[in-house]
Amino acid sequence: MVLDLTMSMAILALLGALATIAGCLEDLESDVGSQSNPNSQVQLAPQMGLLHRIFNKAISGEPISNGMSAVTGGTVAAVLLNAKFYPLTAIVIGSFIAAILYGIYATTAYAGRVASQSRFKQPLYMDIMRYTTPSIIGHNFIVNFCLVTIAYIQYAVLGYPFSIPFLALIWGISVGAIGSSVGDVHYGGEREFQNREFGCGLNTALSGRIVRKAESGLRNSIDNVWFCAKFGGPATGIGLGLTVFFSSWPTTIWGYTWTAMGVGVIILVVMIIMNRLVEINVKKAYGPYKEDKEEKEAGAVAHTH
Amino acid sequence: MVFLDPQTLIDILLIGLSGTLICLAVHFIPVGGAPAAMAQATGIGTGTVELAAGSGLVGLITSSYMYAYEPNASMPLVMAAGALGAAVMLASTMLAGGLIYAYGVAVPFASAQVKKDPITGERQDIYVSKGTQGQGIPTICFVSGVVGSALGGAGGGLIYFVLMQYYSPLISTSAAAVAGVFTMGVFYVNSVIPSYGVGGTIEGVHDPKFRRVVPKDVFTSIVVSMLCGIVAILIAGGMS
Repeated sequence: MVLDLTMSMAILALLGALATIAGCLEDLESDVGSQSNPNSQVQLAPQMGLLHRIFNKAISGEPISNGMSAVTGGTVAAVLLNAKFYPLTAIVIGSFIAAILYGIYATTAYAGRVASQSRFKQPLYMDIMRYTTPSIIGHNFIVNFCLVTIAYIQYAVLGYPFSIPFLALIWGISVGAIGSSVGDVHYGGEREFQNREFGCGLNTALSGRIVRKAESGLRNSIDNVWFCAKFGGPATGIGLGLTVFFSSWPTTIWGYTWTAMGVGVIILVVMIIMNRLVEINVKKAYGPYKEDKEEKEAGAVAHTH
Repeated sequence: MVFLDPQTLIDILLIGLSGTLICLAVHFIPVGGAPAAMAQATGIGTGTVELAAGSGLVGLITSSYMYAYEPNASMPLVMAAGALGAAVMLASTMLAGGLIYAYGVAVPFASAQVKKDPITGERQDIYVSKGTQGQGIPTICFVSGVVGSALGGAGGGLIYFVLMQYYSPLISTSAAAVAGVFTMGVFYVNSVIPSYGVGGTIEGVHDPKFRRVVPKDVFTSIVVSMLCGIVAILIAGGMS
């Protein structure tokens, strides 16, 4: 469907906003449920003799579990749309069913993982399961809603050649890939090892020695999501928002031409420069961990002469 | 015999080539796996399959839209659209991930594989924290990742283009669905092959592992992707 430029830009902005919310909530869901790579530390802790009260769910890798959840929501929504439901109702019902399904997987994954650790005496806390699972379902519902809405807009308004479930699947896989690459570092690299000096680097010898005490009482996954919502979640949202916006922006303005591709290359160059600026900034702010051996030797030689 | 038709043979060859392009592309992407998620290795903190497929599929969305709305779109333009989508996805991910390493975990970016960054010429070894294999995404890794994802996206765009040319006359309305799902399948096949070669982590084009594993993985990928190409043509036998 061909829209005028103002309308196209409005829709693109809406897609970007939805993607930003989806990205943010996806990461927070993976923090409250403890999924993906940082969960290896949660899994490892009882084996080091450190029992904890953190939810331990890893349904699968984030892209696959979110892809599954989004495609379920997309499929149900597509079926309801076919039965002449209002789009908003269809998307909400589809997302809700997918979120409930996700919640079921979360409980079985938690119970299964903790049961496999019974030889390390890790208990299965029923209160943790009772009040963390609804939070997982809630976060996942918002992710599904945003992704299925993006898929619906792309299919029904913009006229993409793929169906709603397939588009939802692709965005589910992408949001999982971004959440796993961006926000999880905040959870795995900082929150789980928060008792170390800030910026000291994380020695591999520390594996499994996660922080188990909270600001008050024992730490659980709700405390973790509170912390990660301050930086990890929003950064993931920016990642997906930028992806959705800038992957379509050049072709929306300049059409399907080589000029649009040239603009895309400029965007990429700007991103490379921005990353370089961050790199320079942090190296200047934190400095090296080790003294330069050559300089030290040169200094020592100069001193002896 | 349908296989002896020169056009069919060219199609199979093109699918084989683009699959190989995707496999090669994965080696360029700096994946640090689980250690990188704890800032214990250089690169992006997730697996090869997740990243390559995630970025490649965004490329598939952009290239399919280009193919659907520009009837005169040439093969290079569809490939470029795929490359753009995939590269933007990976660049955004690395940029946002870099912010977390820089200000969330507070570690300077450093590669453990080279002493100096080949692009900026900056020392790397002194910034590697104790007991780790580097951390963050230095410039060389970022550039390598952007190039790699663009190659992968272009490969995905090429498969989609070839399959659409082949399926459209047979099943006009559903051709996009079949071509899209098949392209996704080829993406996954060719993202898994390199993960055995690189063993979970690779920093990009400057990593010594790159030269060591690329020839073997590319050869494997050629064989497997050609097989995918044959299957893609075979399934068309039942279309009418």
